[in-house]
Amino acid sequence: MIKLKNLERFYPLTKEKFFYVLRDINLEIQEGDFVSIMGPSGAGKSTLLHILGMHDHGWTGEYFFEETAVHNLKPKERATLRNEQIGFVFQQYHLLDDLTVYENLDIPLSYRHYSKSERTALVADMLDRFQIVGKKDLYPRQLSGGQQQLVGVARAIIAEPNLLLADEPTGNLHSSQGEEIMGLFRKLNDEGMTIIQVTHSEKNASYGKRIIQLRDGWIVN
Amino acid sequence: MNDFRFALRQLVKSPGFTAVAILTLALGIGACTAVLSLVNALLIRPLPYRAPQELVLLWQKFSAQGLDQIPVSAPEYLDYEKQTTSFEHIAAFDYTDLNLTGGDLPERIQSAVVAPSLFPLLGVAPIQGRFFTNDEFGEGRDNVVILSARLWQRRFNSDPNLIGKQIALNGSNFTVIGIMPAKFQFPLPLFGIQGGTFAGPVDIWKPIAFTKNELESRGSRSYGVIGRLKKGISSAQAQVEIDTIHANWLKQFPDNYNADVRFGGTLYPLHEQVVGGMQTALLILLAAVGVVLLIACANLTTMLLARAGACEREFAIRVALGATRTQILRQILCESVLLAVIGGAAGSLLAVWGLDLLRAIGVQTVPRIAEANLDVRVLVVMLAVSIGTGILFGIIPALASGNPEVTEALKEGGRTSTAGVPRNRVRNALVIAEVAMALVLLVSAGLLMKSFARLQNVDPGFNSRNVLTTEIALPVAKYPRGKPVADLFAEATRRINALPGVETAAFTSILPLSGTNSDSSFAIEGRNPMAEKVYPDEEIRVITPEYFQVLKTSLLRGRAFTDADTADSPKVVIINEAMAKKWFPNTDPIGKRITFSDPRKPDVEWVTIVGVVATMRHRGLEEEGKPEYYLPHTQRSNRAMVLAVRSKQDPRSLTSAIRDEIRRMDPDLPAANVRTLEQVTSDSIAPRRLSVVLIGVFAAVALVLAAVGIYGVMSFLVVQRTHEIGVRMALGAQRSDVLRLVMGHALRLVLIGAAIGLAIALVSSRALQAMLYNVGAFDISTFVLVTLALGSVALLASYIPAVRATRADPMIALGHNG
Ligand SMILES: Nc1ncnc2c1ncn2[C@@H]1O[C@H](COP(=O)(O)OP(=O)(O)OP(=O)(O)O)[C@@H](O)[C@H]1O
Ligand SMILES: [Mg+2]
Repeated sequence: MIKLKNLERFYPLTKEKFFYVLRDINLEIQEGDFVSIMGPSGAGKSTLLHILGMHDHGWTGEYFFEETAVHNLKPKERATLRNEQIGFVFQQYHLLDDLTVYENLDIPLSYRHYSKSERTALVADMLDRFQIVGKKDLYPRQLSGGQQQLVGVARAIIAEPNLLLADEPTGNLHSSQGEEIMGLFRKLNDEGMTIIQVTHSEKNASYGKRIIQLRDGWIVN
Repeated sequence: MNDFRFALRQLVKSPGFTAVAILTLALGIGACTAVLSLVNALLIRPLPYRAPQELVLLWQKFSAQGLDQIPVSAPEYLDYEKQTTSFEHIAAFDYTDLNLTGGDLPERIQSAVVAPSLFPLLGVAPIQGRFFTNDEFGEGRDNVVILSARLWQRRFNSDPNLIGKQIALNGSNFTVIGIMPAKFQFPLPLFGIQGGTFAGPVDIWKPIAFTKNELESRGSRSYGVIGRLKKGISSAQAQVEIDTIHANWLKQFPDNYNADVRFGGTLYPLHEQVVGGMQTALLILLAAVGVVLLIACANLTTMLLARAGACEREFAIRVALGATRTQILRQILCESVLLAVIGGAAGSLLAVWGLDLLRAIGVQTVPRIAEANLDVRVLVVMLAVSIGTGILFGIIPALASGNPEVTEALKEGGRTSTAGVPRNRVRNALVIAEVAMALVLLVSAGLLMKSFARLQNVDPGFNSRNVLTTEIALPVAKYPRGKPVADLFAEATRRINALPGVETAAFTSILPLSGTNSDSSFAIEGRNPMAEKVYPDEEIRVITPEYFQVLKTSLLRGRAFTDADTADSPKVVIINEAMAKKWFPNTDPIGKRITFSDPRKPDVEWVTIVGVVATMRHRGLEEEGKPEYYLPHTQRSNRAMVLAVRSKQDPRSLTSAIRDEIRRMDPDLPAANVRTLEQVTSDSIAPRRLSVVLIGVFAAVALVLAAVGIYGVMSFLVVQRTHEIGVRMALGAQRSDVLRLVMGHALRLVLIGAAIGLAIALVSSRALQAMLYNVGAFDISTFVLVTLALGSVALLASYIPAVRATRADPMIALGHNG
């Protein structure tokens, strides 16, 4: 599904000197995989995830998403591809404070080509599936951290992506809440969703099928 | 000092905020100070005479004929002087022109004849010399003059020994006895004296010398009368005395004051007379200033509130690190004061330029505008208001930072804090208010501009293109009334007609829209004024034959004057259409006869109507033309005439040729006040132009401020919502979605503001009604156009921050780890 060839990410320090965050990344991820990216702080995990999520455009090398050569796409085309294929879960949940749970779930749909009735049906479906129907009119601050992240995951998959990216999705949660989210990921993966998560915890990584170790921008295995 | 350096660095660090705040302060302070200085000079500051509240003007009226505020005759004035006891002094005055010769160029000087009591009455001392004495009041003793400092400097190079020397005026010698200070001005324009409306400041004062003729004629009224009330005497008490004198006249001179004409007279406080005509315009301006000031304050408040929000975290950190509240307060004060000082300095500069501009526009037509200087008190008040606003809204975050929610603010970090919600509501409300107020001003400006444009397109009944005019006044000494006068004007016409580039030339006693006027009563053959109780009195002009040809005024019936109309040929008159309609309705006026003598007496001299011409607008472009009649200059000679020359090219190019030609005829004869007829027309609407320019400037300032406000609030909103926008972009929002999000917010505020503004404008524009011409107070197209303009500017102002929002990098917005 994903193929990275000689991918590099660097920030200029001075005119001649560069600071490399990612070095010579070669990576292949199959459809239906569940990958955990691990490594010490500052290794470049988040950076890699943002590149995979097509938010970051400042890299060199080749990136194939299925048959598409992402490195040849314009930002606008990347955005379209991202909207069709990728969902995001964040450590900070990043729910919008002024919107209710229901409205938060609706955001991704509002930016894609869904009809009004489809949107209503999809949101209702998702509330049902995550058993949060009773919370649909509450605001994020009225939810516990675990519940907020539950909404975060629901929002990430509501637009039916093929790939789910998660940057330390349980980083802000108690272990029991974390386990619930990881169980959820496991289930989604069983249903066919490809998942790439960044995590510091061996336990969380054990839910996945494969681990990639990053150190100072290099993949070490 | 350290605090100031730090404050300066803070301001430089956020150039957007600093620029907006300084621009707002500068525009607000500048515009308001300039206009308030003007209003203060024109309306509030006392007139530059001693105890001006004691000064009154006395005007007569003939109510039956609708004649109000008309001047006084010589015998009447002398009666007032003798019989009144309410006045400390009373003085007559009139405008006149004097030809000053003896220099390189003869020059016509705007002058005034005054009773000797005038100067002690006004209580302004001369800078050199003395005033007139009572001995110098009267024919033959009046060969003394007082000069203005301006003329003294310009023509006599401030000669310290000029007092006692003689100068040549109208061909006679006059001794200079005094020089008045530069600021002294009398009469003030707009006193309402005929010929005074557009007269420039007076440079020579001369004692009145009533002629024998004047002293015998109660009906020949041309003098203004000013009085200073005695201490403790009210204007009402003086009025009673005047009324008694008038009642006596009615008994004493029944021929002069027919009961049917309802003769009377009224005292008017001087101040009211001077500013009366401008009060509405100035009050509207004052309202405009208020609105602009409110918008500026709203702007400053939104900016500082935004900043307060942004600084809250910084202050929280500082407090957490051990800063005391005083230290933080000091830092904020430094910043506010620094802003106010920079903004105030820029504002003062703008105010100075603004006043220069206002003076330049109004100098010919607005009395006392030269006195309008930058008013330091106004400036100080403005600065205090702005610094006050700055400190008030700068202090709020500092006070907030002292409370125990410090940790809360720290924890909340870059995320939208709940405390932001009420603050956002205040900001939104302020933007809505700004838009509403700006719209009200824009509608007013739009209506006034439309009126002005309509007015400029009015057909005045003549064609002002390519016509040059100049005033020529023949001195009595050299040109006694009669044939020599007519001969000179006939000869001048002949010579100027022969100049290359000249199409036609003619003379008239009074030019349309020039602000001067003259009327005369007459009787119509076959009608009995005593029985009908109507006394025809219409406006009169004396012209040379080609006058209507020069002005391209159509001859509707009959004929124009020709050279065959001489002093000895049958007397003829041409009337205008308005006069034909009024006095000869449903009949052909051609061949009808009028007379200027008493028709009941034997051997009446009849004057036959030979032509009817189109009506010209005279009192103003906005006023329909009045009845007028024209006499040939050969049959009614007039020593002061205006030359009008229609040219084949730019008429100004003829100036020197015409000047030379006139000098060849009489080297002592100045061609004064050379203006194109277009300029005459445009001068006549100059006061209106001043209002339009001022309101226009205010509307523009309001628009800019509102745009700046919207820009500021939207910029802040974008920063504040970076996180939200980042999340939305991460979840699939495209550029256009973000643009729509930000501009939609702006548009919502603008729409609400516009709705409120339009509602207010519907009411407020009614106050403008009196100043509108041919435009309704609810002119739909103006309302629509102005709203669209404001809407587009507002959208433009929000576009820049919106574009900036689309550049929000979701990676940064979402933060790496928080
Ligand atoms: N805009 C930037 N300019 C320069 N260097 C940057 C920038 N953004 C990130 N970096 C650097 O790139 C490196 C990798 O950052 P990244 O956030 O990917 O690390 P991480 O592996 O996710 O760490 P953590 O486990 O702490 O989240 C870091 O050393 C960081 O300092
Ligand atoms: Mg990270």
